[in-house]
Amino acid sequence: MTADGFPGPPRSLYVHLPFCRRRCAYCDFAIAVSGPGLQDRYMGALLEELVFVAHSGAAAEPLETVHLGGGTPSLLGPARLARLMEAVAAGFSLAAGCEVTLEANPEEVSPAAAREWARMGVTRASLGIQSLWDPTLRWLGRGHDAALALNALGWLRESGIPQVSCDLMFAIPGQSTPAFLSGLDQVLQFQPDHLSCYELTLEPGTTTRRLVDSGRCRQVAEAVALEQLRSARARLEAAGLTRYEVSNYSRPGCQSRHNLNYWKGGTYLALGAGSHGFLGGLAAGALGLPVEGARGVRYWHYRDAATYVRVVGQGSPGIRASEQLDDSQLSLERLALGLRLTQGVEVGEERLLAVSRRLAAHGWLEVEGERVRATPEGMEILDRITLELAAA
Amino acid sequence: MGTPTARIRNFSIIAHIDHGKSTLADRLLEATGTVAPREMTEQVLDTMDLERERGITIKAQAVRMPYRAEDGLEYELNLIDTPGHVDFAYEVSRALAACEGALLVVDASQGIEAQTLANVYKAMELNLEIVPVINKIDLPQADPERVAAEVESVIGIAKERCLLVSARTGQGVSEVLEAVVNHLPAPVGDVTRPLRALIFDCKYDPYRGVVVYVRVFEGRLESGTQIRMMAGQGVFTVDEVGCFRPGMEEVAELAAGEVGYLVASIRNVRDSKVGDTITEAQRPATEPLPGYRQASPMVWAGLFPVDSDDYPDLKEALDRLQLNDAALVFEPETSAALGFGFRCGFLGLLHMEIVQERLEREFDLELITTAPSVAYRVNLRDGQQLEIDNPDQLPDPSQVVSIEEPRVKLEVVTPREYLGGIMELCQERRGEFSHLEYQAGDRALLTYDLPLGEIIHDFYDQLKSRSRGYASMDYELAGYRPEQLVKLDVLVAGNSVDALSTIVHRGQAQGQGKRLVRRMKEVIPRQLFEVALQAAVGGKVVARETIPALRKDVLAKCYGGDITRKRKLLEKQREGKQRMKRVGSVEIPQEAFMAVLTIDR
Repeated sequence: MTADGFPGPPRSLYVHLPFCRRRCAYCDFAIAVSGPGLQDRYMGALLEELVFVAHSGAAAEPLETVHLGGGTPSLLGPARLARLMEAVAAGFSLAAGCEVTLEANPEEVSPAAAREWARMGVTRASLGIQSLWDPTLRWLGRGHDAALALNALGWLRESGIPQVSCDLMFAIPGQSTPAFLSGLDQVLQFQPDHLSCYELTLEPGTTTRRLVDSGRCRQVAEAVALEQLRSARARLEAAGLTRYEVSNYSRPGCQSRHNLNYWKGGTYLALGAGSHGFLGGLAAGALGLPVEGARGVRYWHYRDAATYVRVVGQGSPGIRASEQLDDSQLSLERLALGLRLTQGVEVGEERLLAVSRRLAAHGWLEVEGERVRATPEGMEILDRITLELAAA
Repeated sequence: MGTPTARIRNFSIIAHIDHGKSTLADRLLEATGTVAPREMTEQVLDTMDLERERGITIKAQAVRMPYRAEDGLEYELNLIDTPGHVDFAYEVSRALAACEGALLVVDASQGIEAQTLANVYKAMELNLEIVPVINKIDLPQADPERVAAEVESVIGIAKERCLLVSARTGQGVSEVLEAVVNHLPAPVGDVTRPLRALIFDCKYDPYRGVVVYVRVFEGRLESGTQIRMMAGQGVFTVDEVGCFRPGMEEVAELAAGEVGYLVASIRNVRDSKVGDTITEAQRPATEPLPGYRQASPMVWAGLFPVDSDDYPDLKEALDRLQLNDAALVFEPETSAALGFGFRCGFLGLLHMEIVQERLEREFDLELITTAPSVAYRVNLRDGQQLEIDNPDQLPDPSQVVSIEEPRVKLEVVTPREYLGGIMELCQERRGEFSHLEYQAGDRALLTYDLPLGEIIHDFYDQLKSRSRGYASMDYELAGYRPEQLVKLDVLVAGNSVDALSTIVHRGQAQGQGKRLVRRMKEVIPRQLFEVALQAAVGGKVVARETIPALRKDVLAKCYGGDITRKRKLLEKQREGKQRMKRVGSVEIPQEAFMAVLTIDR
């Protein structure tokens, strides 16, 4: 963001690598389960888009973060990943100390692969563990068991990749609170730098949602979910991992800079099927998106990998649509995203501050000057708190 | 010179919804050449969007069709289309009174339905000749034999007289026209006697004022005639008379026996009351035509704009609807919970729904409607009597000697097998049995005396479900009677919400209170705080529910791709929140104010 509060040039790049061995039972992401043929064509298209964007001039400043997300980026194999990394480095200028994150699943982690990732410049590995209770891993449709996940975590730790993060989920039907907390404790043994601890969301169209809707599985009671969340937070903080966002905890200085940029309303470029980008007017114009005076433009790519490949093959960047944001939409987003951070968000308007003070009197918010932040109690009902402020 | 009276036929079509009344009417218009096939739109006679959509007729229509019969003579057929719901029973009876005969249209697979029966009886009471028409005989499940036998046993018309028709394909339509000519009587009426014409409907035309639909029984009507409304007393000079073909077409005169319209610079539909008799001002008839009844609102409810800025628009819209709807009355009302709005009087719940829907659709207004109420008479200690149609107006109990509620004489016609269930329903609704009469076939006519307040809400639906749709009902006001009535208040987080108060019988207060707060718990979303919902009578709580505080509401993952979705959701929620009404610190959605209507007894 620029000093005047409006979106500036992008310093972050998200690259979507949609391939997975299978679709997990809870997943509604833009992923593709398919053979190497499509993967090769996809990599070709992705590099084409990369070159197009790199040449467009949309990235006027060096990149501070690169995030390889999925899907399962680790599935690509070292050769393809190395080519992608080289292309990123060739197309964009990377700032010194640029954070380069790779999302990985335990199945693809080996001591050799991890060392390879470190060598090609990955500075941060994010390991999808989700649970360390085998029946739950099977229920989630994951392709690994607890032992493999712990091995993978150990190998990443020893690989030379500077930062390691893990994903865990709670409020999973069938996983007891002790099972969840014991999994958390096992992960903490490895002293990860960062941990994302998500409540399982039953997204429409997913297997887990169907199981719950049909009554074959019972949704975790609200009180139990809250108990898991609160216990997890206590243990994490005791282990030196401080909460900095609704679902994210880190050691000091080890926050995900890439994700922080999202929550602070920053701009970012996106490459690949299903990926979303957010640019200021200037950069959006460089990409050929309609701007018409808007100060912020969000855009997104074709979700289906094969469609994306086809569209890019026709000489376009694979962007499906975009929307121009007016100032009030930008501030609404800034508010909603900023409140997700424990550091909170600056609100200038007295109207908002008045509502914030009212909510603060009940212990949901803290107000310090113009900065408003959610307390742990407020975080549990953050969407409603945000709505109160949004409707102020 | 008009058609000789002997060659005029005035008739209407009686049919259940979906049995093909409008389609048959369309075919008749086509077959007589009144409407060219290329001008046909579905349901020509139902001109309001709402009518086409709901498949019901709200306003009566009349269309004149020239017809050359097989006898080689030219006839004038006047088809009067009638509304089809119990709220408009009186309007139906007046439209029928303008006819000598009726086509009874029955679906060849469904058989006779109750609503149809009610109108058939009404037609029979008015001595109309009935021609049964069994429609939809082209459908695979059609069983015209069975239906004809049913017509014979229920109505007593020989089954051989049933015409077999498919209005969809046109099969049998010419036989219908011949039957109208041959089986329905011609009107009788002396053109030389003083004018007597029945008003069976009217509509407001912004350019010409009120267009009055009339059936002339005696005398003649022409441009320049000075007319007097015998009940309404207004005097007007006729500017134009004409008939509908189906558009308005001026004619030289309307003589005894004829159906048509008149325009007389009448500015207000209230000056042309349905059922009133028009006579000549200079040479008045001594007696009006029978059957006039003042149409008065039976049901009252508050209409409030969701957005209080829309109040002037709502007023203007009501003014405009009222131009064409003599039964709609309204006056300003203020509610602590809902702000400025109007207290409106309706003929019944369907009428209320129609008005509400037209306001929302034609005038683009968003409304909150409060629970419907009837008008009570309150006797005060100082000897005064108040009439209140809004529970909130009920004075402090210490000033009240008694409250009288309006009662109706309810008539239900039903096949005998459903009598038990229907009597049970009437008892549940505090009804008092007055009379039971067995009629031809297996029909029974049941008469009950019960409170109007007990039938305005879901009585009709209940009656239908307990008789598999066969029973039909009609009611008229039958005076007031003091009852043990109390005001049931609803408190949200300790604050009484005026718009949610209802007047109920003391014996029902607790049960009703329980159902009401339970329903409200379902429609009010969880808030940041626990919210107590209480129902109370005179300060004493009779029912209570608690909406627990919201404990968990946060999106777990919100990354780059989720932001647009999150913002859009937030925008939508913000809009919804801004439309909620605030009582103290509690936000109440619109549905909650209608909770009374959506509780199951």
